[in-house]
Amino acid sequence: MKRWLTILASGAMALGTLAISNDAAAQEIQLTGPLAGAPAVRRLRHYREGRFELGAGMSATLLDEYRRTYFVTGRLQYNLFDWLGVGVFGGYGLIGLSTDLTDQIDSVSPRNSRTAVNVGPRGKFADQTARYTYMINPQLVFSPFRGKLAIFQKLFVDTDLYVHGGVAFVGLQERGDCGGPGKKPCSDPTTFGLESRTAVAPSFGLGLSLYTTNFISLAFEYRAFPFSWNRAGFDQRGGGNDAKFPDQRVDAEDRTFSFNQMFTLQAGFYLPTLPKTTD
Amino acid sequence: MKQARWCLLLAALMMLPTVAMAQPAKPAGGQPPAGGAAAPAAGGGDSIELDDPKPPTDTPPADTPPPDDGTKPAGTGGGGICEIDPSACPKQADLGKAAQRDVAAEVYAVQQIYFLRRGRFEIQPYWSFTLNDQFVNHPGPGLAVNYYLTNVLAIGINGTFYQPFNVEKEFNFQNRRASRVAVPLNEYQMNAAANFTYVPMYGKFAGFGQFIFSYDAYVVGGVGIARTKPIPVIDPDNRKFEFDNRLSFNVGLGFRIALNRWFAITTEIRDYIYVEQLEALTVAPTQDQQQNQSTWFGEKPLTNNIQAQLGVAVFLPFSWDYRLPR
Repeated sequence: MKRWLTILASGAMALGTLAISNDAAAQEIQLTGPLAGAPAVRRLRHYREGRFELGAGMSATLLDEYRRTYFVTGRLQYNLFDWLGVGVFGGYGLIGLSTDLTDQIDSVSPRNSRTAVNVGPRGKFADQTARYTYMINPQLVFSPFRGKLAIFQKLFVDTDLYVHGGVAFVGLQERGDCGGPGKKPCSDPTTFGLESRTAVAPSFGLGLSLYTTNFISLAFEYRAFPFSWNRAGFDQRGGGNDAKFPDQRVDAEDRTFSFNQMFTLQAGFYLPTLPKTTD
Repeated sequence: MKQARWCLLLAALMMLPTVAMAQPAKPAGGQPPAGGAAAPAAGGGDSIELDDPKPPTDTPPADTPPPDDGTKPAGTGGGGICEIDPSACPKQADLGKAAQRDVAAEVYAVQQIYFLRRGRFEIQPYWSFTLNDQFVNHPGPGLAVNYYLTNVLAIGINGTFYQPFNVEKEFNFQNRRASRVAVPLNEYQMNAAANFTYVPMYGKFAGFGQFIFSYDAYVVGGVGIARTKPIPVIDPDNRKFEFDNRLSFNVGLGFRIALNRWFAITTEIRDYIYVEQLEALTVAPTQDQQQNQSTWFGEKPLTNNIQAQLGVAVFLPFSWDYRLPR
């Protein structure tokens, strides 16, 4: 009896030990398993390919010297492929806020012969600073990177990282020309009004999209659109040998280069509402 | 001794259930593979062979309705995954094409996190750029060193050196000349802070469908000192300032892209918040008073120095052992 019991116990122990090693090996899915030859990703969702995107959001300009602008923005885009789309970004300058420097100039700047060409009546300086009115920006959107994001290890969202580039048509209001032949002198208070023009500039940037559902995304986007403009309405250039000194005129010579930037938060809606998926 | 044998037997019997866990799923319908075509996999496991020729089965005619008892006909192929999720079951017609694909040598049901931070030092040299000072640029090199207590929480220090790199913009001169309004300006020497870093977000990106890299996003915050001084603009003939310490708090957001298990590219937005000392906007009427330092200082506004930091991160040690095998 003792010997049988010993043999039975030893056999069961050996079988159990073998079973343990088999258990660890069974965690791997080998090439010969049911996933052999299968694609690395099944049911990959192509959120962009073949879909229209309608976007709506808000933008804020960055590093402004005299006036910050908050845009209401929209985007219409068609995605030819998952990695390439063509569309139009646009915005309307809804809110403009003066910076602290603008308020300082308005309250502190002396009104005398030295500043008469540059600074209007007290309490009115903010009115002479240039502002954005609209932006229309045809662009290409290139999305080379796509992936997933885990937030607090609880919430998982699909993402893509994109860059965009195009041409921006930027509607501006800036101080009109004065002081030239046949024009009023720039010290005339009526010359501090704004006139409209459209600036054309390259536009580029990058963004991150988070796909919260099959047809809604949230995008964070940075955009740069550098061009020259006269942000304060000052006479700064045009005189002297190298045109770097004031010439008692305000005109295109007084525009200085600015690396204009904005940050956009935007919700996107996709049509058709269901993305294509791979097998 | 007898008791020991019984204990051994009991222990061995308790291990037997693991044999069942390790067994492969039975073919659809609970029938053994027809023809016995599937060869046992290496290691003794009975893996399901989808690549093998379809075994001969007693396939009913096409016009024969399937049984309505919920069971699948034998020999449909696909094995366990077809039973778990019929929609994910590989199509017979696709197998030939799928077999031509390059496949990874091993595929694991649950992948390990590629980039672990716990117990590692992060050495992060960076270059910072000013984001919110229209008047003076404050670029400069910096270095951060962090130690990750857990995979998501680190303590560390960082410092940035600005002194030789402060650049006053031409815009200040243009503005002063046009409006006769001087904006008080400040330059920075350095800052240093002790920080906590928390990593709530991580993910993966597939680039061009060819390569995969891991990334994470983190928040950082801390306290330290900043050394700044006013640039004499209002009365440069008499005023000469020295750098002084300011208590500085900072918060920031960062984004880190891991190129391999120990090297990453980082970008960070950091807001250093401190009380700045500005130059006085008025000049004392007499020469003696103008040279009296007590007349040189003006307002002390709360200041945000927001900067972008672009750098790389090296994690030490370079490698690690996972706690569990995959």
